[in-house]
Amino acid sequence: MARGMSRYGHLCWAYDDPLGFAVRAEEFLRVGLAAGERVWYVTDGPAGPVRDRLLGLDGFAEALSTGAAEVRSLNGTYTSLAVIDPAGQVQAYRTATRLAIAEGYTGLRVAADATALVRTPAQRDAFARYEQRVNEMMRTESFQAMCGYHRPQLGDRAVAELACLHPEHNVDDLLFRLHAGPRQSGQAALAGELDPSNHDLFRTALDRAGLEPVDDELVLDADGLRFLDHRALIHLSDYAQERNATLVLRASRCGVARLAALLDLPALRVEVSR
Amino acid sequence: MRTGRAAGRTGYLHEAVCYGSDEELLAVAVPFLVGGVEAGEPTFVALGERTGGLVRSALPAETKVEFLTGGDVYGRPTAAIRMYRQLLADLVADGATAIRIIGEVPTAGLGPTWDWWARYEAAINHAYDDWPLWSMCAYDTRTVRSSVLADVAATHPCFATADGGQLPSAGYVAPETFLRRERPVLPDPIQAAPPLVELADPTAAQARAAVHGAGQGRLPGDELDDFVVAISEVVTNGLRHGRPPVRFRLWAGADRLVATVSDGGTGPDDPYAGLLPCGDGAPGGLGLWITHQSCNHVAHYRDADGFTLRLTAGRPPLS
Repeated sequence: MARGMSRYGHLCWAYDDPLGFAVRAEEFLRVGLAAGERVWYVTDGPAGPVRDRLLGLDGFAEALSTGAAEVRSLNGTYTSLAVIDPAGQVQAYRTATRLAIAEGYTGLRVAADATALVRTPAQRDAFARYEQRVNEMMRTESFQAMCGYHRPQLGDRAVAELACLHPEHNVDDLLFRLHAGPRQSGQAALAGELDPSNHDLFRTALDRAGLEPVDDELVLDADGLRFLDHRALIHLSDYAQERNATLVLRASRCGVARLAALLDLPALRVEVSR
Repeated sequence: MRTGRAAGRTGYLHEAVCYGSDEELLAVAVPFLVGGVEAGEPTFVALGERTGGLVRSALPAETKVEFLTGGDVYGRPTAAIRMYRQLLADLVADGATAIRIIGEVPTAGLGPTWDWWARYEAAINHAYDDWPLWSMCAYDTRTVRSSVLADVAATHPCFATADGGQLPSAGYVAPETFLRRERPVLPDPIQAAPPLVELADPTAAQARAAVHGAGQGRLPGDELDDFVVAISEVVTNGLRHGRPPVRFRLWAGADRLVATVSDGGTGPDDPYAGLLPCGDGAPGGLGLWITHQSCNHVAHYRDADGFTLRLTAGRPPLS
């Protein structure tokens, strides 16, 4: 079961068994076919076996013949296999989504095993920045994606760095998520729990989020935040101060405001919606 | 320019008033307050309802004394220190050169939770010493236990007397000495039963989940949220700065939760840990300071197994 709730469909699926990824990807794409979307299954390996497998599944054979479903290679789908260009890749998916709509589909849905794109720290850094930008794009385009990451090849830390940027993921011990929320509710949504066990991960995610202040404010929708500790609050204030902004944390619980009041942080304001 | 017994002093003059009758309290309090007002010093009363009422009615009309609501001021010791330090800093920033306050620990603080108020009384000798404050802490010897009075003697350098004089406290010890003493911590009665939850080396998230599970419906939401903050800080400190094993135990009563977090270490070195925010970056100091403001009682003890913090949310026992 994936954790988190999504207003747009961007799922991270960490897997140990490639067959498990395939089954989940097929499920993800089948929902898209039923909704009239174009679907792409993007694989790092040869397309033939994947195509053969899909042909044996209900609903896919016809879609493969009409072009509603397509098996694609990473090489043919991503702008660069070395270090991704976040803006260029987002633009490529935006164009493909609009083309699908122009051709009569309701949108574009992609299940991609992105393991090969995030093997090195430099690749991962760029890909994480891409994940954030594609989140923002998904708020306005009919584009949905499932990103597969092979845990045995990447390791838990690398998977966590990517999973935490998705509104939905299946990583059990990953406590928080940071991703673009609904446009009217701020620059990003922060959910889950922040404590010293994930501070380093959180700092990395925040750095990669590339949040830009609007009217000297960085607004985080923290409605889904169940817990954060004083270290996270101090870090958020420092983060905003470095950007000459005030961080506005829109929380649903008064406890966050009480904690912030104790700390008297110069660049942090808590707004409680309850 | 300071006046009365504080004349010529710098820093904090901390006196106790141990009175055996209302007349005795008034004989000390009224001249103290009137003297402050006459000298133009900001002068405050932070007594409880009964004693505050006595003093109010005994003061000459129009005496410009400010009454602070005792219950709010003295909810939790660390919060009281924070509030007073802010008040003192603001007054001095506004030009005050002398300040007077008479206050008292609330009745509820003189029972099983006295230990953290005793630590408060010791710590403020240091915590208020940056300001020109003369304060009196009132204790009613008719009702206060002798063990509490012994702590009062150990934490106040002197006593104010009804004849307008002052007696040095023979039992006074330096605050660091007092705070480093091991104090017996009596078990909360609900600790007589086996704990509802017992976790060995839990993550902070596991401990938070246990408290959420046990506290739902037992405590108001805000109080439970604050307790979760405290538990998370204390478990984190145990894991980061203590020695394994870290043990978490949780008991639930009708009106409170009690949790203990133990580790095999010796606890914080800073005697003021929890009462003051650590200014020197001491490990875990800020977390413990937050913990003391997020619970209704915090006690700690050291024994052969290591260091234990006990936290109480809800209503601590009154006797």
